[in-house]
Amino acid sequence: MNTIVLDNTLPKVFAQVKDLKSEVWNHEITFEKEQLYLVEANSGTGKSSLCSYIFGYRKDYEGQILFDGADIAKFSTRQWVNIRKKSLSLLWQELRLFPELTALENVIIKNKLTNHQSRQQIETWFDQLGIADRMHAKIGRMSFGQQQRVALIRALCQPFDFIFVDEPISHLDDTNSRIVGELLTAEAKRQGAGVIVTSIGKHIELNYDKVLKL
Amino acid sequence: MNLVWKLLRQHISIPQFAGFFFANLVGMTIILLGMQFYIDTQAIYQSEDSFMKADYLIVNKRISSMTTITGKSSAFTLPEVQDFCEQEFVERVGLFTSSAYDVKASFRLDEKTSFSTEMFFESVPDEFVDVKSDDWGYEQGSYEVPIILPRNYLDLYNFGYAQSRNMPKLSEGILGAIRLKIEISGGGARDEYEGRIVGFSSRLNTILVPQNFMDWANEYYVGTKTKSPTRLIVEVNNPTDERITTYLQDNGYETDQDKLDASKQTFLLRIIVGIVMGVGLVISILSFYILMLSVYLLVEKNSTKLENLLLIGYSPAKVSKPYQLLTIGLNVLVLILAIVVMMAVRNVYLEMFQTFFPDFETPRIMHTYIVGAGLLVVVSVLNIFAIRSKVMSIWKRKD
Repeated sequence: MNTIVLDNTLPKVFAQVKDLKSEVWNHEITFEKEQLYLVEANSGTGKSSLCSYIFGYRKDYEGQILFDGADIAKFSTRQWVNIRKKSLSLLWQELRLFPELTALENVIIKNKLTNHQSRQQIETWFDQLGIADRMHAKIGRMSFGQQQRVALIRALCQPFDFIFVDEPISHLDDTNSRIVGELLTAEAKRQGAGVIVTSIGKHIELNYDKVLKL
Repeated sequence: MNLVWKLLRQHISIPQFAGFFFANLVGMTIILLGMQFYIDTQAIYQSEDSFMKADYLIVNKRISSMTTITGKSSAFTLPEVQDFCEQEFVERVGLFTSSAYDVKASFRLDEKTSFSTEMFFESVPDEFVDVKSDDWGYEQGSYEVPIILPRNYLDLYNFGYAQSRNMPKLSEGILGAIRLKIEISGGGARDEYEGRIVGFSSRLNTILVPQNFMDWANEYYVGTKTKSPTRLIVEVNNPTDERITTYLQDNGYETDQDKLDASKQTFLLRIIVGIVMGVGLVISILSFYILMLSVYLLVEKNSTKLENLLLIGYSPAKVSKPYQLLTIGLNVLVLILAIVVMMAVRNVYLEMFQTFFPDFETPRIMHTYIVGAGLLVVVSVLNIFAIRSKVMSIWKRKD
């Protein structure tokens, strides 16, 4: 996948809102590979909705979303499974980790599906993000900041053309935020992928190619 | 351990699945047992007359006191036979020929026991006797005659004589190996023959020999070819045809009541087994309902996990698989156990069958296996689709 185009996309709940000030909704926006995007948003402007739409998880929008020119509203289950496995990665704001599993198991369950990263690489990331000692702890017993880092590692355990990270550092200190930024851009660069970071305030300091106000 | 299974087995309710398991086991066992019991009992009915088709009727004239007093003949006249032949429900009619000569038969069971009796022979046209033609036939000049005996004789011996004297019961096979010594006399001649028992009939209350032997012997010993027959063997196209009963009544004829009784019994048995199997089926359906409710509840309780698995790239098929395997596994286990229980119960009643019917040949169990496997497949396919559609509803939840 080379491009993601939002063609006059608008959440249905915003349809009645007059004088909507947004650089994304109701515009034609193209996300390209190897580019770094920051989507800045205020609360309630539909940031998580945008991620859900692009991930095929919700369809309550008007207009179109196109992957390489194809309307995603018409994608089959099989196509979505493939896209989620091979083309698109998403770090959810609410993380969507499994509290019954350990931190490592949460990553392995994804990596087993894609066979993308080596066990060694995964352990290195745990180490770099300062949670190597928490690798075998149940997710339910970890702080949200620690969970955010586990979710990031999981998001990197797959091939992707685009990676969406929804408020990835909301609960992280500056050092860890910097490391998250480094890991993210390094892996994206290695894969030649586009990165879309969303934020409602605190965001990773990176050399963004484009900043959009939602 | 498989991580997906580790996640999805959360909230599995053992009591619910145990409930399904036992309910389904009871239902399945009743169905299989009912079916096998029916097959086994059918074998008893069918084994009775392998060499006489079911749609043959034996017809004779009703003998009343009046007939005896007036001396009216109980034999069929030629016009009567012709009239019978012309009826629509009749396929063909055969005449019974009785022996005009004297017959004395004896056989020795062991050193102490031997039987000897005066008797008579009858014959029907060969096409009414369903025995291999090699076994059924007489070559002129030979001293060996094939014979079909009434099963009553065997029962009389087994349940009366042998029982009271503590003697071993005899099966048809053993008795078939014993040779009867037959002495035939008439017209001044006297010859000895060897009788070879080829079968037993509960339909024909007579001692049957091949038609060509009868014709030859009547001619040879007495010099008469035919006496008017007192009994007819009639092949009908449908034994339940009401016109048969009407015709027989109108003409004062009687037919073998036994056969009608046997078919009544089979009919009642079929109804009873049908009801029992129906109950089994209802229990099975209800247990299937329990299983589906349990699985739905499980999917409901684990819906967040399932949704997250789908969002990180697991396909609905992969996510459904653990639950599908779980239900199929349970179904297979239930089937195996049901078969084991069925076999155990069957062995108990087969033992009884064999005591009462020494010749009872155990029928195959294959049909029951096929029905069991068929039910397994149907139920499993329903399970697979139900689980898949439930997971798909999570996939499509959206909005």
